[in-house]
Amino acid sequence: MLKSFSEDRPFIDITKVTKVYPPDIIALQNVSLSVDLGEILFLTGMSGAGKTTLLKLICCMETPNKGLIDVGGYDLSKISASQIQSLRQQIGVVYQDFKILPRQTVFQNIAMPMEVCFTNVKDIRKRVDQLLESIKLTHKRDTVAGKLSRGEQQRVAIARAASNSPALILADEPTGNLDAEISEEIMKLFTELNAAGSTVIIATHDESIYRNTEHRRIELEHGLFSRQTQKKQLSLTGLMS
Amino acid sequence: MSRQTYFFLKQTARNLKQSWGTQLLTLMTVSLSVLIFSFFLLVYINMINASERLGDELRLIIYLDHEVIPEMQPRIRKKISDFAEVEKIVFISKSEAFHRLKEQLGGEQDVLDDLGADFLPPSIEIYPRRNLHNLTQIKEFSDYLATLPGAQKVQFGQSWVERFGYFTELMRVIVMLSGILLILATVFMVSASIRLTVVAKEAELEILRLVGATNTYIQTPLLIEGLLQGIFGSSLGLVLLYSIFLWTKMHLHGPGLFSVLTLQFFPVSTTVMIIATAILLCTGGSFASIRKYMRI
Ligand SMILES: Nc1ncnc2c1ncn2[C@@H]1O[C@H](COP(=O)(O)OP(=O)(O)OP(=O)(O)O)[C@@H](O)[C@H]1O
Ligand SMILES: [Mg+2]
Repeated sequence: MLKSFSEDRPFIDITKVTKVYPPDIIALQNVSLSVDLGEILFLTGMSGAGKTTLLKLICCMETPNKGLIDVGGYDLSKISASQIQSLRQQIGVVYQDFKILPRQTVFQNIAMPMEVCFTNVKDIRKRVDQLLESIKLTHKRDTVAGKLSRGEQQRVAIARAASNSPALILADEPTGNLDAEISEEIMKLFTELNAAGSTVIIATHDESIYRNTEHRRIELEHGLFSRQTQKKQLSLTGLMS
Repeated sequence: MSRQTYFFLKQTARNLKQSWGTQLLTLMTVSLSVLIFSFFLLVYINMINASERLGDELRLIIYLDHEVIPEMQPRIRKKISDFAEVEKIVFISKSEAFHRLKEQLGGEQDVLDDLGADFLPPSIEIYPRRNLHNLTQIKEFSDYLATLPGAQKVQFGQSWVERFGYFTELMRVIVMLSGILLILATVFMVSASIRLTVVAKEAELEILRLVGATNTYIQTPLLIEGLLQGIFGSSLGLVLLYSIFLWTKMHLHGPGLFSVLTLQFFPVSTTVMIIATAILLCTGGSFASIRKYMRI
């Protein structure tokens, strides 16, 4: 995928984007942002600041009222239906409301993005088992997802987003329902995925997950960028575990 | 089996498992409609067969008061064939009628010795083309023939031919109505059941969309579902009909009308046609009901 993408451009390029929800709720105003390939970016800000909206724009769930968005070489204003499909196959999203299918098993939920790409059944099994280990849910493999606790569901949502080893991971409050120990595991998983080549954007309130990292952080306030921390020049490979 | 086929079949199996109640109901409706339609079609086809086997019974004879001179024959032929499609018209003179009778009597022809060769009236024999229109119009036809100049009396088959004609006409209407019923019931039930499946799966469809599932990925299992309903629904209906057919055939034997009516089942081509139509209707129904969910 993303064959049209040349590495000297930003992986995600958002230029002066405004998003207004009807009737006149301004969720984002004149926002510009570039994300490099292989970066981990934290998106912070108060509730209602527009974090989810920004992520939705990137994965084509919403369209901007103004401005340009370019993801992996696709200009989202000119993208065709089949291009959206192949772009989405390369983006793993952890939704704030999880969007887990309650009547399907944990395994089926996590396997879904791979099934859509017609991944070999053996590979699917291997990958799901590996992810279940990371999120510490191996014992719930064949449990119906509706019976899981919120925190467990959230972990399934994370595993599903990661399952296809996507080029881009968008995580919306991925640690919202998790305690510190598991949050750390999840961050470790994201770091691993990042080391394997995924660009990761994490929207979060949870200070503990970005406090001690050297990754860039962008703070949104009422649809505007208010603050941006500089990316520290640390080698990413040093973080691999 | 390709990986894609495997996924599609797996997805179909999952759908069927999730909504087997609706699926079963649809299957029953499809087979019932096929049964009703093909039952009437079978009766109709057998009646046409029977009417063909009636053979020479289907002949109208006009008895005349005098012979038709050869120069007049073309005009009369035209008058007759103007009214109805006719296979052949034979003019029988007095002497021809006499010779025929003589031949029929064979060894006992001496009973005719006392009679003159012209004691039988001349006649015109009309063999109408044996299609249903003519069969049902036979009464009108004979009334018309009676108005021809010189016609004394018109005779045709037995009276049941006439009743038979009305009956086949009625059957034709029933076959047409049950055909419409088949189409409506199948399309309605299949699209309703697929729509129920789709509504039940709305959350799943949304996520499938979000993880980049193609239209083919989403549609194919639903189309396979329609296809299966078409195949199994119509086959079940036809198997039921065949059982009814065998039962009837076993219990309806004996003299009279039933010896004329040698019951026959559909030829293979008609069976295939019925199944194909059911498949077409079912996949069409499922296609119609998922089309609006195919927008991104
Ligand atoms: N579909 C929608 N229709 C109308 N308004 C919306 C819609 N989605 C979001 N908004 C509004 O847009 C603004 C930004 O919402 P958004 O969900 O992006 O915030 P957020 O930063 O993700 O907040 P939170 O941290 O609570 O998740 C809010 O004022 C919200 O009410
Ligand atoms: Mg949000």
